[in-house]
Amino acid sequence: MFKKKILILPVLFFILILIIFFYLLIIDRNPSEIPSALLNKKAPSFQTNRLLSDKNFNSDSELIGKVNLVNFFATWCKPCRDEHPYIQKLSNIKNIRLIGINYKDNKKKTKEWLNKFGNPYSKIAVDKNGRIAIDWGVYGIPETFIIDKNGIIKYRHVGPINKKIYKKIVLIIDNIK
Amino acid sequence: MRETKKIFKINLTLLFVIFFNFQIFPNISNGVEPEEMLADKKMELEARIISKNIRCLVCQNQSIDESNAPLAKDLRILIRDELREGKSEEEIYKYLTDRYGDFILLKPAFNLSNILLWLLPLFFLILGLFIIWNKSRNFRNT
Repeated sequence: MFKKKILILPVLFFILILIIFFYLLIIDRNPSEIPSALLNKKAPSFQTNRLLSDKNFNSDSELIGKVNLVNFFATWCKPCRDEHPYIQKLSNIKNIRLIGINYKDNKKKTKEWLNKFGNPYSKIAVDKNGRIAIDWGVYGIPETFIIDKNGIIKYRHVGPINKKIYKKIVLIIDNIK
Repeated sequence: MRETKKIFKINLTLLFVIFFNFQIFPNISNGVEPEEMLADKKMELEARIISKNIRCLVCQNQSIDESNAPLAKDLRILIRDELREGKSEEEIYKYLTDRYGDFILLKPAFNLSNILLWLLPLFFLILGLFIIWNKSRNFRNT
């Protein structure tokens, strides 16, 4: 009798695996998205030029003391153009700084782009050869990071910000402010 | 008639050239561009070996050594810059996994978070062998 009952175990095990597979298929997730290794760690520091000023951008002093939203963007990147209205909306949130990092771009074109579509950033740092992006673990722009007052990365989004992500970002900022 | 013969001959030579190119240089297709290469042959080889084990995060199923993606190129240059600065292979791997996670390694690392993934197949193999052994013993006894 006991032996017969034990025979059903592999079947149950198989069904369990099937349920797990179907669950992972159905839930809203992007399997090509890479989990961020830098989450809850200190934002990598960098020094670089600024786009609209002759002064330098020093992340050690800029990315601290306030909640910062760091957005990697470029004018040649179509999804960056798509998320631009949401970036503009995010810039209206009080008591945060919105830092743009202009990734492998042409200065003149970027200035024209910002004039045309509006400049939501409080400061724009220039990443001429893409080294800052690599240091931040960026693999596909646009990417957006939320940095808390202590300079710790609290959230990272790869890809353009849409309505859903916008709401999520607002919520996270509200929670850590 | 003569014209077609000529075309046939040319085609044959072309086929020959294409065929033997593939045979002689089977591994020539890669993303490394000449200007990226280091003058130091030994260091360049080291860079090639490292980049063969680094995943291109854009294409995700190619190494950065094979990929033409701009990010792969940047990572290749970065690896060469680090080697020139005297960094060791381990330091470069650490730099990259600190930023992109273990996913960037094409050959997965053996560590605590994936120990089950490595050991479970072995466990099931032993379990299976044990069951077979147990069954056959019972069978012989009856």
